[in-house]
Amino acid sequence: MNTSSHIVAVDEQTAWNQAHDRLRDFLNAFALGDHAQISRLTLKLLDQARERHCQDPSLDPVSLAMAQAQKLAREWFASNLEMRDQPPAELLASGCVALLLSGAFRTAPKTFLTAPLPENLKESMRQTLLVTGPDLKISSMTPRHLDYGPMLDLARRTWHRWNSREIIIALLFWTVVYFVFYWWLSEAL
Amino acid sequence: MNTSLPETSGAARRTLFIGGSILLTATGFALLLHSYSGQPIFWPDYIVIALFPLLFGQIAIGFLLALFGFCDWLRGGDPFHLMRRPWREREDSIPLAATAIVIPVFNEEVQRVGQGIENMWNSLKKTGQMEHFDFYFCSDSNDPDHWIEEECAWLHLCQKLDAFGKIFYRKRRHPINSKSGNVADFCRRWGKRYRYMILLDADSVMSGPTMVRLVRAMEANPEVGILQTQPAMVLGQSPFRRLLQFSNAVYGKIFSQGCSMAQMSSGSYWGHNAVIRIAPFIEHCDLPMLPVPNPSRRHVLSHDTVEAALMQRAGYEVWVAYDEPGTYEEGPPNMSDMLKRDRRWCAGNLQHFWFLFARGIEMGNRLQIWIGLMAYLCSPIWLTFLVAGSIGAYDRARFLAFSAGPEDLGAVQHSEAPFLFIMTMLLLFFPRLLGIASSLPGAKRFGGFFHLLLSSLVETAFSILIAPVLMLFHTFFVLQAIFGWQTKWTAQNRADTSLSILHCLKLYGWQSGLGITGQLLAWFYLGFNSYWLTPIFVAWTLAPLTAWMTSSRGLGEKLRSWSLFVIPEESQPPTELDGLIAPDDEETRPAAPLWPQALVSPYVQAVHLSMVRQRSSHRNGAKPSSSMANLRERLVRQGAAALERKEILRLLWHAETVFWLHEELWSRPDARLHSSWRSLQSDSWKNALLRHYLIAE
Repeated sequence: MNTSSHIVAVDEQTAWNQAHDRLRDFLNAFALGDHAQISRLTLKLLDQARERHCQDPSLDPVSLAMAQAQKLAREWFASNLEMRDQPPAELLASGCVALLLSGAFRTAPKTFLTAPLPENLKESMRQTLLVTGPDLKISSMTPRHLDYGPMLDLARRTWHRWNSREIIIALLFWTVVYFVFYWWLSEAL
Repeated sequence: MNTSLPETSGAARRTLFIGGSILLTATGFALLLHSYSGQPIFWPDYIVIALFPLLFGQIAIGFLLALFGFCDWLRGGDPFHLMRRPWREREDSIPLAATAIVIPVFNEEVQRVGQGIENMWNSLKKTGQMEHFDFYFCSDSNDPDHWIEEECAWLHLCQKLDAFGKIFYRKRRHPINSKSGNVADFCRRWGKRYRYMILLDADSVMSGPTMVRLVRAMEANPEVGILQTQPAMVLGQSPFRRLLQFSNAVYGKIFSQGCSMAQMSSGSYWGHNAVIRIAPFIEHCDLPMLPVPNPSRRHVLSHDTVEAALMQRAGYEVWVAYDEPGTYEEGPPNMSDMLKRDRRWCAGNLQHFWFLFARGIEMGNRLQIWIGLMAYLCSPIWLTFLVAGSIGAYDRARFLAFSAGPEDLGAVQHSEAPFLFIMTMLLLFFPRLLGIASSLPGAKRFGGFFHLLLSSLVETAFSILIAPVLMLFHTFFVLQAIFGWQTKWTAQNRADTSLSILHCLKLYGWQSGLGITGQLLAWFYLGFNSYWLTPIFVAWTLAPLTAWMTSSRGLGEKLRSWSLFVIPEESQPPTELDGLIAPDDEETRPAAPLWPQALVSPYVQAVHLSMVRQRSSHRNGAKPSSSMANLRERLVRQGAAALERKEILRLLWHAETVFWLHEELWSRPDARLHSSWRSLQSDSWKNALLRHYLIAE
């Protein structure tokens, strides 16, 4: 065996190892109670990916293996939920929520992605529907007019007619008031 | 028996209260003026004279409220109060109406909120009236981790309590107008489905029987628009929180009772732990914009007082049910968190100035607005008063030393100042004595007679230490609100975690410097006459230490073991508070961010997609915009840490992108994927929070 073919073989082996680990992690993420089922599924999906890889060696093993897993998941959910016409995103989301809420990942892990679920679990999965809020009953809530009274008139005049002349007059006025007050208090007390 | 309030009785109470406040203030003012008689007046004295009635008026109002409350307590409660009317005799026969329990949240501790909902659910279930109530978990959280955790927590709650269709989750995409906007959003969407809403804060809890009773009170009294309860502060672990909840339990009740007696049907509304009649709330209580030139400052920040005023303007009554049990809230865990809250409240209360002179607002509401304004304006006034008083004292000392004749010295000796001082102390501390007296019959629930007295003594010392510190901060907040200064504030502390000494030195160290300098200057210029300033300088000097020590959870636990600052809810813990004490934050918060699980974990992704897609306008298969495509690629290549919060939120709202990323992250070979994704993938099923919420046994 020459060096280059040896390198190719090692690279390919690494890629398939990656595919194996990825598949295992993906299936683990479903928190199935049965670890042996995860191993069986991993190997089964890996074999299917290898078959496809033989047909088209340019395809990446990780992508191939995961595409197989996702396809299998879609088919399994579609058959158990009887939702064959749903777009993939909605099908997978509904399927995963149903799996979670029905507890099937815990109670029937052996059937996961391989066999039809028992009828009672199928039924409980189909009944699962997330309702985040009841039907809307729209009301119009808008502020009523509020007359802010004399302060607003005063403020508006200040904002719109603010000029240095007025400031000087005001300052002079209050200075006079202050001194008159000072004089009065000094005399009175 | 007709126990509805006769017009004359209400007017008599208000006359007594306002007249009493004016009389006390006038007496104090007369004493002040007399204290100057025969003495020279210096320019700072005019400032003191001008500011004195404002400050003394506040003390007088507090004193009278406590006195009213104490008298009401002595006679066993107000017979004219809404909760003592004849409807109580046939209470159990009053049918309930559809009620929504609305809990607006903003980046709150999700497990704590969830546990609170669970406890309320269980408590309501025991009343047998669950069919009338629905829960709404209304989120404005802008932290992606909180958002994802809230979704998981909601699902977990619904599953655990079999509450699908009874507990709802709503996340606003654009959280405009903060909490009031969140509540208005609920009203616009679902308000018509309900006659009442019980509004709670994220840290509020109410017992089932209390909620049922409040709804019955509203049903029996159709003229009532808002019924506010007086929540007990509970679950304190740090000394700071324990001090607050003790003070609330001992003195708070008589103040509320006094307020209720004076205000009657024009009571206060605090924005939570209250039941609201939805139809008039929708029709009349949407907040108007403020008439200021800057559009970014037109939104009313502190909504509750204004909503109460608008409700009364529409002809509905607002009552405070001050002695209803089974209503709880939590206080701020430390001084820094309280300041953070005060900064917000200060800006909100100052805005209320506009409503003080608005037409159609009831007199009672104007009074509340005035008291709210003065709660913060008093700080700069007090500071100015102190500075002017010190300069005046210095001028007088110089005059007496160098220019005074014998008649001037005689005038000083016959000054009315000691009487004024005694009167001020009486008005300040007598309400505390009344609070302790009203707690004595139930002293056992406060840890016993001795512990109640000792705790009150320590609490009083603490309040003397903290008041000058708050004065300086509140002065700054007032200036900040008026001039629109922007400042960076330290991040909010969750739960009862201790503050670090470094944080305390950074935030309060300048007060120590001010305290030491002020004391030295006072000694130098005023000599012995500076004794009346010493408590203030000592409080400033010790500010970092006070903040640090009162935040220590360890010290709080020791105080609890010594039976200090015990409150009735600790002596006899209600079941509604089970499991609500947050464990030490640093131990429980996950180190890694949670939101990437919405892209990795099939379950979290499915829950998130199911919730986002119900409102998403994006069609399946639609091509993403180029900026979204760039964002996706950056996330995959550079990892979750590479994105800004706004980018993460944008991405999480886009259902197509969430699904695309989930497939892509699992399908890409390692070489084209940031290394952090691989560890997230391999550990996804071990994530403690996800296991708790979604896959718990």
